[in-house]
Amino acid sequence: MAELEIRDLHVRIEELEILKGVDLSIDRGEIHALMGPNGSGKSTLANTLLGHPNYEITQGAIIFAGQDITEAEPHERAKAGLFLAFQYPVSIPGVSIANFLRMAINAKREEPIGVKEFRGLLERAVELLDVDRSFTSRPLNDGFSGGEKKRAEILQMAMLAPDIAILDETDSGLDIDALRTVAEGVAKLHASQGLGALIITHYQRILHYIKPQFVHIMLDGRIVLRGGEELVERLEREGYDQIRQEHSAVV
Amino acid sequence: MSSVPKETAAKRPRHREATLYQPLAGAGARDGAAASAAEDGDSAALLAHLRERALATYETSELPVWRRSGFWTTSYAPLDLGALEVRHHEPATADAAAPLPDAAARTLPERPRAGRIVQLDGSVVSIELDVSLAARGVRLCSLEDAAAEGSEAFARWYSKRLTADRHKLEAANAAFWSGGAFLHVPAGVVVEDPFEIVHVVGAPGSAQHARVLIVGGPTSEFRVHEYTLAESFDGQALHTEGFELYLEDGARCRLAHYQDLGSAEIYDSTTRVVAVGRDAFCHWLPALLGGHLVRQHLELAVMEAGGDMAFRGIFFAENEELLDMFAVDLHEAGPSGGDVHWRGAAAGSSRASMEGLIKINPGAQQTHTYLQIHTVMLSPRARIDAIPSVLVSADDVSASHGGSVGELDEDVIFYMQSRGLDRTAAVRVLVEGFFEPVLGQLADEPLEAVVRARIAEKLAAAREDIEAYAAGR
Ligand SMILES: Nc1ncnc2c1ncn2[C@@H]1O[C@H](COP(=O)(O)OP(=O)(O)OP(=O)(O)O)[C@@H](O)[C@H]1O
Ligand SMILES: [Mg+2]
Repeated sequence: MAELEIRDLHVRIEELEILKGVDLSIDRGEIHALMGPNGSGKSTLANTLLGHPNYEITQGAIIFAGQDITEAEPHERAKAGLFLAFQYPVSIPGVSIANFLRMAINAKREEPIGVKEFRGLLERAVELLDVDRSFTSRPLNDGFSGGEKKRAEILQMAMLAPDIAILDETDSGLDIDALRTVAEGVAKLHASQGLGALIITHYQRILHYIKPQFVHIMLDGRIVLRGGEELVERLEREGYDQIRQEHSAVV
Repeated sequence: MSSVPKETAAKRPRHREATLYQPLAGAGARDGAAASAAEDGDSAALLAHLRERALATYETSELPVWRRSGFWTTSYAPLDLGALEVRHHEPATADAAAPLPDAAARTLPERPRAGRIVQLDGSVVSIELDVSLAARGVRLCSLEDAAAEGSEAFARWYSKRLTADRHKLEAANAAFWSGGAFLHVPAGVVVEDPFEIVHVVGAPGSAQHARVLIVGGPTSEFRVHEYTLAESFDGQALHTEGFELYLEDGARCRLAHYQDLGSAEIYDSTTRVVAVGRDAFCHWLPALLGGHLVRQHLELAVMEAGGDMAFRGIFFAENEELLDMFAVDLHEAGPSGGDVHWRGAAAGSSRASMEGLIKINPGAQQTHTYLQIHTVMLSPRARIDAIPSVLVSADDVSASHGGSVGELDEDVIFYMQSRGLDRTAAVRVLVEGFFEPVLGQLADEPLEAVVRARIAEKLAAAREDIEAYAAGR
């Protein structure tokens, strides 16, 4: 069984069904890309996987590391090794990145992390993401630029070392250099720690740095097409309309 | 520190919202007889006269009830005044280091300090002062002693701005105060460590009428931490306080109050005035963290040109507590600066009303000031009323206000949970982060730690409420 198994997932927000039966398996060390037009349900899937209270699962199951986590609290999912880099990270005024990360790391441990060990981890993450050391003293996402927020997400991911990460449009809002830094950071974690990832994106660019083995296309709350890297190029050429037509023809 | 850009300033004299309370009259309780006693330097006569007048007000007035808009009434009527008495304890002696009352021993941080005066109920029970400071003319003693000694600073400043006739409890304080604290930091003396002034209500039935007078001489610099505490007990008690701090030309003071009367049925009626002289500066930070019924009038007045102040505050009401605050930023002369920033939370069925007023008097030109009040409700039954007002009677000024009223942001909580923090921890981080912009400005590690610990304790106590709040959404 794969590390993360999503089975026939149906999700509702305020009486409206958004996900209409999603199946997806992601194993450690695998890179998956999820693409789909605005409003197709990609973020809904991401948020549901982490247990956002506004998203109601009406059918189906989420299995992670052999455990059914469909009903689990968000923090239990995080502790089990799931991570979400948010499309729109919120700010936490008054709490520095470093302090927040210390709390997050300690939440996973019996004994609080030692000062030295923490500093070592932080230094490596800061290097990986090519940010200034002072960056981690700033209140988390408070007044951050779009690009800084995205870097802060991946910095947290590097520190928390999840087994499976969902990156919800982490590439949006990054300039070329930042995109490369962030993407290479993810690629390194993939190579060194066997990170498995679901990369949600609208663009090809990030996938040049992290090659996906699996590509999934979501339309209207369903994954309608699966394939390899070649799908990305096809999408770039044809757009979603062609796929939508074929798909509705099938339905 | 005119940080408010001129273009965005509210230039028109404007009454934004009706204020229910009024700033104190500048003249305080002093009438002609008081003024001439003061002029003669006769502090005993001054005090006797003011006590007598206050007594007359006390005897002819009722316990105050303030009816406010909507849900709000602040009423001292349930207080059984006749059953209360001023309790006296063995006075402090010079040699014996009296043990701290339990509540103080529990709360006060271990730290270096310049001096400390402790009042239990009606009596000062201990006084200590760094000998090197005493040698430089710093005076820390009971206010009774200062009056009896004929202190010049007492005659000049006592009740210079505090009134005694607005309501029965204010009059009670002026008429009946005992013990009291007096601190005088003479001209040019700079003190790094804080002076601590501690009030403890020790037992049910106690009426504590606390009085504080602090005078900072020209260009002096010092810190004051005042603690208002109570032992835990069943039954009614009363704490009234009249607090005055005067900063003479160029003096600088960082003043903080830690108020936590705990869960006993204690009524608190407090008026505090801080008055800032020419080119003087005060950073004032009250932390109001508990009491059955608390009414505080907190007034920071810039008396003379060049005065500057930062007025910060935090409050956290819980259970059935009722907290009624009136914070005034008064500018009597310009140029002057002001910056008022309050943050408060309410849990349980508590109610808190925070009325903030900026008042700029005629002639206080080139005053720049800003008032903001931020609040967060931690329970569906809690209520916070935040009422900012601006009263401007000068044209070349900037005065504006802002703020926010909020509930817990579930998206922020989810974000933290998705990183591994459980809900309780996430809420704690959120609320602590909410207070941080103000709390961090205490710029005093030991005191910050005390306040943080108390906030954490209150959050832990409110946990069930917070859970229920989330579930009910
Ligand atoms: N909290 C919410 N309340 C109501 N509707 C919501 C909420 N969140 C999402 N939706 C709706 O669910 C649908 C799917 O939204 P979702 O954010 O999952 O799309 P997406 O694929 O991530 O789009 P994008 O590419 O623009 O990020 C949309 O129609 C959206 O309006
Ligand atoms: Mg999205």
